[in-house]
Amino acid sequence: MKRDHPPSLATWMLEHSTPFGVDEALSGDLLEEFRAGRSIGWYWRQVVAACVVSWLGALRARMHLLVFALLWSMLAPAWKVLCDRIQDSQSLNHAWEIVGGLWVLPAFAVWAVLHSTFLWAGMLVYILCHACLGKAFRGKHVRRAFLVAPLIFSPIYGVTFVLANLYWYSVFANATLAPTPLGQIGDLRLLADVMRIPYFIALLCPLWAAIPRSTRNSQPLFIQSAPTESSLSFASTLDPFTLRRFFGLMVGAGLINAMLIAFLLCRLPGSHAPDFASLLIRAIGYVAVGALAGVGGTWLYWKSPSSPFREHPPLPFTLFALVSAAGWVWVPSMVIFSEQISAATAFIAMIGAFVLASGMRSATYFVFAPANRSLSFPEQGGAELFTESLHRSPTELHAYGIAIGLYTAGAALFTRSNYAAAAFLAFSAYLFAWKQTFVPIHDSDNKTQYKRAAIRLALVVLPAILVTVWALLDGVAHRNHEEISPAPAASNEQPHPDTKFASSAIGSDGYESIILLPRPEKKQIVAPLTAHTSLLAPATSRPLVIRFNGAYWYFQSPGKRPGPEAHRAHDNPLAVNIESSNFIPLITEAHQSLGSAIPLARCREIQVVIENRDRSPGAVALAVLLTDSVSPAKPALYLGQQPVSQAGKDRLAPRSAPVSEVLSFSIPDHAKIRRFDEITVMLLPDVEHSFVGPKIAIQQFNLLPR
Amino acid sequence: LKINYFFAIVELMTDRSYLGEFELMLLLAVIHLGEEAYGVPISRELEAHRGRSVSVGSVYAALERLEAKGMVASSLGDPTPERGGKAKRYFRITKAGLRQVHETRRVLSKLWKTLPEPKWERI
Repeated sequence: MKRDHPPSLATWMLEHSTPFGVDEALSGDLLEEFRAGRSIGWYWRQVVAACVVSWLGALRARMHLLVFALLWSMLAPAWKVLCDRIQDSQSLNHAWEIVGGLWVLPAFAVWAVLHSTFLWAGMLVYILCHACLGKAFRGKHVRRAFLVAPLIFSPIYGVTFVLANLYWYSVFANATLAPTPLGQIGDLRLLADVMRIPYFIALLCPLWAAIPRSTRNSQPLFIQSAPTESSLSFASTLDPFTLRRFFGLMVGAGLINAMLIAFLLCRLPGSHAPDFASLLIRAIGYVAVGALAGVGGTWLYWKSPSSPFREHPPLPFTLFALVSAAGWVWVPSMVIFSEQISAATAFIAMIGAFVLASGMRSATYFVFAPANRSLSFPEQGGAELFTESLHRSPTELHAYGIAIGLYTAGAALFTRSNYAAAAFLAFSAYLFAWKQTFVPIHDSDNKTQYKRAAIRLALVVLPAILVTVWALLDGVAHRNHEEISPAPAASNEQPHPDTKFASSAIGSDGYESIILLPRPEKKQIVAPLTAHTSLLAPATSRPLVIRFNGAYWYFQSPGKRPGPEAHRAHDNPLAVNIESSNFIPLITEAHQSLGSAIPLARCREIQVVIENRDRSPGAVALAVLLTDSVSPAKPALYLGQQPVSQAGKDRLAPRSAPVSEVLSFSIPDHAKIRRFDEITVMLLPDVEHSFVGPKIAIQQFNLLPR
Repeated sequence: LKINYFFAIVELMTDRSYLGEFELMLLLAVIHLGEEAYGVPISRELEAHRGRSVSVGSVYAALERLEAKGMVASSLGDPTPERGGKAKRYFRITKAGLRQVHETRRVLSKLWKTLPEPKWERI
């Protein structure tokens, strides 16, 4: 029996389960084949295959969107924390009190606007990225996407919230996000991932229907025609050698000026836990300062009387400034990373050099037009059909230079010579970008050049700001980690052989690190703690007094302790002047080993008695860390920090006797350690004071029984 | 490739000009069928020569990719009752597609010539 009708369910699937709707020709073909004698199973297989192929094609066409939505939603936890802080701010709470019982409506409006801003910013970045690729979206689709995103976000957020609490309430009850924005962005635990879901969907759905169209299809890739009259508007009367020399001078002047200003102004925030908003503002400021400093340095040489560009500029200074600023914006982050002795310095330098060279090549191509006439591009369109005209690339000597630069940079990175690595990587990137950048001749008029430079700068600024934020976050985290890192066991033990970092922080002169040991006092007998000390005895109320006889450590980041070449001396911190000679902050710690472990439960409070003769500008805080060095993991308990009194800190006052002070640190009832046998006192100066060792000596510890 | 925006390198790399195996077969089938090249005969042609079943959906997907690259062009025919009133979509190869087919054949032929004669044929 001949069948006329295929399975209706399969036909329905074909018509309704494909992302673009069914192709009439495809369904007609399947029907024709079915009526020609194909089986029902064949029809089903074809329908399923058509649906799968259709969906795969749809996903393939939107691969950029999927990846972008995924990456952008990674930022969502940090953004949500920021929004929560804004909503919990006192000013908004006052506003809700004014509104009264209807506070829910404006609160929801603020919530919606804050989260919509995140989505709109993501969509804007996505559209701008495609604009750079020469792809445009239909205005109708873009408008609809911007409108739909906030509308669908709220219900998706609500559904996600309800479902997450239904199924994972026990998981979320005690879950917390990472404390820093960077940690929140990189947090891949369940709580952070669930937070990302509504943002991901709210980005994906509105942009799903917006398929970008290429605007370059109508333009040939390579144009063989001669430069037009407008394209030569930048041509200069100067010879190519002079032009190159002075362009090099301008770039060098801008770079040096940007680096100088960055070294002078770009500092880590003084706070140990800066919020993301303050870091963002600081990063924006630093990036602006870097760009302005670079442009300012160039301007000084451009307008100097000896400059030939003053009278006969080969191209407008504003265009040169726009182009070069895209490179200078990376300088602040590079400088901040360099102060942390981070390998990221080299890679940031590479990115900056690449962007700078690419833009500079594009802007100055027609300035060097006479010299560039020898450049030719492979002829693609002129090849006749059936002819064998494979283009043979000429030998390119600059490739050897790039390769040598890369290998040398790798070797420099291996030896932790970050500045050398930065220089070689920047050289390679600059050379690569300069040689590989092609400028379409039809885009050579002034307006296009300005537009291209402005777009390039706008696209580069956001990543530069984010990288600067990253550098600041990394610097603060690194500094905090150094300050609260658990102390090693005894003060006079041999340094660990793995401490390679300490030796990398060697200054231009002086010692890589210092261990200062107190002078032994006459007739001093310090008996080790025994089991029958008063503190351990039940129902005692007398404090246990421990005279400090440990060592003071002076070292620098990224080391965690003095290096193997540390200078050892017997002296008192009140009597010596210890300063950093390489602009890397000093880390100062005092270590006291107790000889035997003390039960933490018997101790209520620790008083640190200090002598203070510090007159350097800036405040100093004092933090205490208790360590159980007997346990294999050497767990530690951080007791917090207390500011040291500023009284008597008069730099003009004559040298006087030190001020004695007692700082108290309470011990919690329950802690992750049960006993301790080491006390570490960390001296935490603020930024202003960080290059000078504080003249503060530890006298004794008073352990008050519980 | 030389281009002024480094972002564009990605896009140009995806628009590669060489043909895949399935695409080349499709183009050859379209050339062979001439004026009668639509989904059903193209699929039958491929099945006959490959010796295994072909998904009509994947044939259309590949033809649409080739159309986007400018190697084939399509036009709708008249609806017919045996197809449930659905129109046929005829495909024809373009000049660029023809050039690409010949270029691929030339490269493949040169590569084949570089290979030694297979010993198993002599056995």
